[in-house]
This record gives sequence, C-alpha cells and structure tokens, in this order.
Amino acid sequence: MSAQTETTTKDAPLHLETATFEGKNKVLGFWLFLGAETVLFACLFGTYLALRHQTLPGQPTGKELFDLNLVALATAFLLTSSLTSVLAMHYMNQQRKGLMQLWLGITVLLGLAFLVLEIYEFVHYVHEGHTFMSSAFGSSFYALVGTHGAHVTFGIVWISTLMLQAARRGITKETAPKLFVSSLYWHFIDVVWVFIFTLVYLLGKVG
Amino acid sequence: MANTTKKSGIGKHIISFAFMIALTIAAFYLVINNVVSKGWILPLILILAVIQVILQLFTFMHLDQKGSNYYTFFMIVGIFVAVISAIGIIVM
Repeated sequence: MSAQTETTTKDAPLHLETATFEGKNKVLGFWLFLGAETVLFACLFGTYLALRHQTLPGQPTGKELFDLNLVALATAFLLTSSLTSVLAMHYMNQQRKGLMQLWLGITVLLGLAFLVLEIYEFVHYVHEGHTFMSSAFGSSFYALVGTHGAHVTFGIVWISTLMLQAARRGITKETAPKLFVSSLYWHFIDVVWVFIFTLVYLLGKVG
Repeated sequence: MANTTKKSGIGKHIISFAFMIALTIAAFYLVINNVVSKGWILPLILILAVIQVILQLFTFMHLDQKGSNYYTFFMIVGIFVAVISAIGIIVM
C-alpha cells in the first residue's frame, strides 16, 4: 500500500483530496455549504449597508472610528495566510508533510495575528462608545465583522487540530480531503474579508 | 517534466497573489487620496473587490481545474441568491 503511493507521487500532480468517493463528496458538499455561507454573509452585508448611518447625535461614526492603517495590516495578514494555505495544499499533494505542516503553521499564526488585531480594534471601539448596543450602526457592524471574526476563530481551531491529526496519521486519502476542505474554508474567509474591507472600512471612510 | 508543472503551480499562485495585493493597494489608494469623485468611488472599489474574489475562487480555490463544474454551479447559485438578498435588504 505505502510502496504504491510512493511510486505514484512522483508521476503526476495528484489530487489526493478527491482520490476516493468519500473525498469527492466531501469537497462537493463543502462547496454547497460555501454557497449557503455566501447568502448568510450577503444578508449581514445588506443589513450593515442599510443601517450604517443610523447613529444617535454625539455617537462616533464609521468615518471617525475606522483606522485604515490597522485595516491594511489586518488585510495583509489574512491575504498572505490565504497564499500560505494554498502552498500547504500544494505540498500536501506532493506528499511532503514537513513543508505542508510548516505552511499550515504559518497560516494559523497569521490568522491569530489577524484575530489579535481585530480584538484590539473592538476593545478600542467600545472605549470610544461604539458597542453592539449603542446604535443600529453598532449592532449591524459587530454582527457582520464579528461573524467573520468567529469564522476566523473556528478556522484557526480547525486547521490546528487537522495539523495534529496529520502529524499522527500522515497525509492519507482520509486526512487529505479534510485538509483540502479546511483550506477552501480559509480562502472563503479571505473572500469575505475582501468585501468587508471594501464595503465596511473603505466605504466608511468615504462617508 | 514533473518538476516544471510543480513549479508553474506555485508560480501561478504567486502571480495571483501579487495581483490581489495590487488590487488591494489600488482600492486603499483610491480612498485615501480621494482620487475620484464620491459617486464613482463605490463602483470602482467594488469592481476591484470582485476581480480579487474571482482570482481567489479560480486560482487559490482551484475552480479553474477540470471537474469543478458542480462547485462553480453551487457558487453561482449562492451568489445569485446572495445578491438578491443583499440588494433587497438595502432597498427595503
């Protein structure tokens, strides 16, 4: 069994994640889930865009609150982590476990860095009087950006635990689809963030 | 032969990543420096975001590979419902 996989790895670019019927179904089902997630986030975006000017007099607006330097740094972290995640999948399909784990580890660290920035940002906002309860702008902002942050948190836990499993079991037809699907999830988080920095922060700065 | 395909695989991702960074910088630049009038800024940065997302989907998420028809179909249906929902909420 193991000798057979060793010989086939060098021949062609394998797609280990879809090598089995179960793996194929996993990836297919996950895309269906991502389609549904798109709708979930679209509703949160729509709500935010409809309510983003609804603040009481004296409360901070998005234009006053948002710091584009911080957002640019967060974007750099998340965008780079998307690249490191795709590199990890590249090495997974080459059966190079060490390199895959290295890039997955960097992905998780970048995700953590993003999360730390976001927590710092939220704490700062609360001190400025921008909370979940303060205004419709606040509620819709935290619902949208917070849901994204929760996805990042889940992604970090998911990828870390899959790294543990890969360390124990190696890159097999069972672990590969899981790793691949978690990487799709991570890219999707980045896709959502692209719209967040565009429609929340950049548009907020425009007014 | 196998080596060249492996390298081009990573190369494609790096190029795609460079484009994504460039699109992000362009969007930030447009807003920070007030390059265009207020009416044009939203459609412009939205277009930049959509291009970046298409890059993500078709390079990093491998929708450009063979056998991705169902995945693409699911995403298109998702985006279709998503756009209607979002616009509906905003207009409401």
